[in-house]
Amino acid sequence: MTTTIERDDPVAADPPVAPPSPGRRSGRISARTVINTLTILVLLYLVLGPLVMLGVSAFEDTSGGVVITPPFPWTGANFHTVFTTSETYTVLWTTVLFSGGALLFAFAVSLTFAWLVERTDLPARNTVFVLVVAPQGMPALISAIAWSLLLNPTNGFVNEVLRSVFHASGDGPLNVYSLPWMILVQGMALVPLTFLLITASLRGMNASLEDAARTSGSSFWTITRKVTLPLLKPAIIGALVYEFVTVVEAVDIPLVLGLPGHVTVLSTQIYNASHPPVGLPNYGVGSTYGIFLLVLALVPLLFYNRIIGDSGSYVTVTGKTFRPKIQELGRWKPWAMLFAWGYIFVSFVMPLLILIWASIQPYFGTLSRDALKRVTVKSYKSTLSSDLFMTALKNTLVLGLATAAMSMILAMLVSWIIVRSRSRLRWMADVLAFLPHAIPGVVIGLATLLIYLILPIPVYGTIWIIAIAMGTQYVSLGTRLTTGGIAQIQRSLEEAAEASGAKQRHVWRRVLIPLLRPVFFNGFLMVFLASIQNLTLPLMLYSTGNLVLSSLIYTRWDYGDATGTAVLSVVMTAITIVAAIFLRNAGGRRAGE
Amino acid sequence: MAAIRVDQLHHCYDDRGRAVTAVDHVSFDVQENEFYTLLGPSGCGKTTTLRCLAGLEVPTSGTIEMDGVVVFSSRRVVPTHRRDIGMVFQDYAVWPHMSVFENVAFPLHTGKRLSGTVIKDRVHEALELVNMREYADRKATQLSGGQQQRLSLARALVRQPKVLLLDEPLSNLDAKLREQMRKELRFLQRRVKVTTIFVTHDQVEALSMSNRIAVMNKGLIVQVGTPREIYQTPHSEFVAAFVGATSFVQGTVTSVDVEARQVSLDTTIGPLVSDMNIELAPGELVTIAIRPEAMRLSSDPFEGTNNIEAVVDIGLFVGDAVDYDVHVGDELLRVKGSPHTRFRRRDKVFVDVPPSECVLIRRAEEGEAELARPQDTLETVMIDTSA
Repeated sequence: MTTTIERDDPVAADPPVAPPSPGRRSGRISARTVINTLTILVLLYLVLGPLVMLGVSAFEDTSGGVVITPPFPWTGANFHTVFTTSETYTVLWTTVLFSGGALLFAFAVSLTFAWLVERTDLPARNTVFVLVVAPQGMPALISAIAWSLLLNPTNGFVNEVLRSVFHASGDGPLNVYSLPWMILVQGMALVPLTFLLITASLRGMNASLEDAARTSGSSFWTITRKVTLPLLKPAIIGALVYEFVTVVEAVDIPLVLGLPGHVTVLSTQIYNASHPPVGLPNYGVGSTYGIFLLVLALVPLLFYNRIIGDSGSYVTVTGKTFRPKIQELGRWKPWAMLFAWGYIFVSFVMPLLILIWASIQPYFGTLSRDALKRVTVKSYKSTLSSDLFMTALKNTLVLGLATAAMSMILAMLVSWIIVRSRSRLRWMADVLAFLPHAIPGVVIGLATLLIYLILPIPVYGTIWIIAIAMGTQYVSLGTRLTTGGIAQIQRSLEEAAEASGAKQRHVWRRVLIPLLRPVFFNGFLMVFLASIQNLTLPLMLYSTGNLVLSSLIYTRWDYGDATGTAVLSVVMTAITIVAAIFLRNAGGRRAGE
Repeated sequence: MAAIRVDQLHHCYDDRGRAVTAVDHVSFDVQENEFYTLLGPSGCGKTTTLRCLAGLEVPTSGTIEMDGVVVFSSRRVVPTHRRDIGMVFQDYAVWPHMSVFENVAFPLHTGKRLSGTVIKDRVHEALELVNMREYADRKATQLSGGQQQRLSLARALVRQPKVLLLDEPLSNLDAKLREQMRKELRFLQRRVKVTTIFVTHDQVEALSMSNRIAVMNKGLIVQVGTPREIYQTPHSEFVAAFVGATSFVQGTVTSVDVEARQVSLDTTIGPLVSDMNIELAPGELVTIAIRPEAMRLSSDPFEGTNNIEAVVDIGLFVGDAVDYDVHVGDELLRVKGSPHTRFRRRDKVFVDVPPSECVLIRRAEEGEAELARPQDTLETVMIDTSA
């Protein structure tokens, strides 16, 4: 018999080896260092360039344009103007009400839906899930237009129905061009993504945490209050901060619904200052409002970092989970179903139907038997065969591809620096990749505009200026995805390649890139989808040479062409929904399979 | 000439402003074709040492020489891909997007160009070594843990490296497979004749596979020796406790019999006679380490010198033996009894402690040796008594 020896079990593996101390000699300049440095420099230019420009222009007298060579026309007049106009305070207050209201609505609805779908016996949960997420394929611009068609005081569809029911005459009774309706429409536009974020973490939550509470004798409400919601807190706050930036930066709903009713928020204020209907743009005042908006967007982020810290935010996410116990709705079931399907009808079906209806009418008029006779697809033919549409479609595709390529390549390189390198520039890469997320799109748009008005790079007025601004903005989104992707690749896979004698370049080509391909592809599609839906940047950087679908829809709408707008909106919605389905299928596949 | 020479290797890193020393001026030599094991608990610096040899970690100071070439010194850092090594990782690091063949062929594509047939031959040869030839066309993700392990070994050997580095390669396998792989790995290493450095926290692996073992603790090498030396004559309580279960008894030397090379001791379990494995003088403080399998139990007194009366706390039948905890006064002894014994709790027994099986460890100060005991052993003892 061999000697029996007791094993000291369990013995954990060595802790991960921490990065070595900074200040170590490196000796040679490797290709890796060059690429890292270049990446950081490009990011610095893309991210800090606009910010610097914004600051300069806010403190200058810009009546003669922004000046970047001495003598600088420094002045505090912009701030003086902004601070002394009572309009500023009205706009700020409106912005707070608008964003606060929309977020409150979106989160109340999303949490309810998330709970109904993930934790109750609501019938047809999967269908409900898909239909709550589906409006994501309808850009906010289009849903604003649809709601305007439904609820505008003169010939809004719902208003006409209400008037005929109550035998009323004149305008109204509902007016979508007012703050409460703007809040509601914006809120509904936020629901799909908010719902997705919350259900994702609810699904990832280890069910045994809730089961443990249940076996400890807690009631359903106690578990929800003491276990489920606290565990969801990081996800909820994260989504809240993200959606807050989405609300304050967007110009689509505030332009379509706010402008006719003279409801102005900060983003439209910036748009108006830099794109006045009459007279010269006032970039100085626009930039000053831009700084306001930037600060407004940064505050919740600081708040967020304080609450979340860097630990604990991923605690609830584990790989495998069992479906936790299902709450039976009992006699509340009909009410829950009424809520779910009622919301789906109002938020998705109704807007979609009105757009289709408007697109097959020669002009948008009252609903009557005559209107049914007027149904025609002539507008589709004329709109879709126009040169304007073809140009916009081509530009949209170029813009989407260029933006996605630019931001995803940058994101990959940055993520590698963040996750793997021992570079001293790591923290800087982290901050730079995160910043664009905090800079509202309307601010990036304005600042990019200012830069290329001055720099002798011939992109102003072309599609490329939009691509640069968008690429910058979506680096954050891309980095979020790729950082996770690289972190999931075991470091030893790279080390094994090195130990097999592979140079850095081989490690990337043969190991990292093939493994990251699914993540890259997924991110590419997501950015593509987001960029073709984006109206803010195409509108901020609009000129006749760089029309894309979203700006074409807005200009047609602004011009008063309801039918043309509706046709384009239907086509656009179809495109984004197809792209989204593609994304969903692609996202389902995993690496190495 | 030594195949690997490590001199004053030092590695410290910065952990939130605090300097942490992972490897503390460690020096050792490894002979050509030797199977050299770094053994120690987690966090002892053994993996960091191995990663420094691979070039995956850059040491703070020291010198590393491989096959007569300096690969690390204050003036020179040879990057990983130019070191003549093969490495097997704890999680195997098999590339999931490549087939078995592609995984093994990868190291051959990195250096000078080889023709397709040469590559094919060498890959098949390497797969043959690990009995994986028929799996060449499989996807790497379709392999079981044990197969991934072999694949990873084939990949490390395909370049015919001077040095093979193994980072806890068996720890992710289940017990049966681990036992089998121990033998295979050792056979293979002898067959291909490659200098091997093996990192493990498992003393069974270390004892059964190595030519020599370096036991590490807190960044230092505390003892180097053959498996027998390490097991039978540990120089410290740490080594005794880490390599196998051991009972420790404190004592004082009362007299020394130079001729018989035996000492008489006054210990916490009564007077003991022990062979003298270190030079001692009367009055010196010692710790006596006794392996569980060195002692015998009986209900009647034994013939011979060290015959100690004890009371049984618990006996756990483990198949080929019964693991007893017995106490003598306040001292706890762990004894491996024959499977035929059936002592029960509170039974009076006699423990036979042969003088040749006592290992004496010199104790400088009262209480100091106690602190040096590794913690996980203490935990094990506590768990066992409560069982």
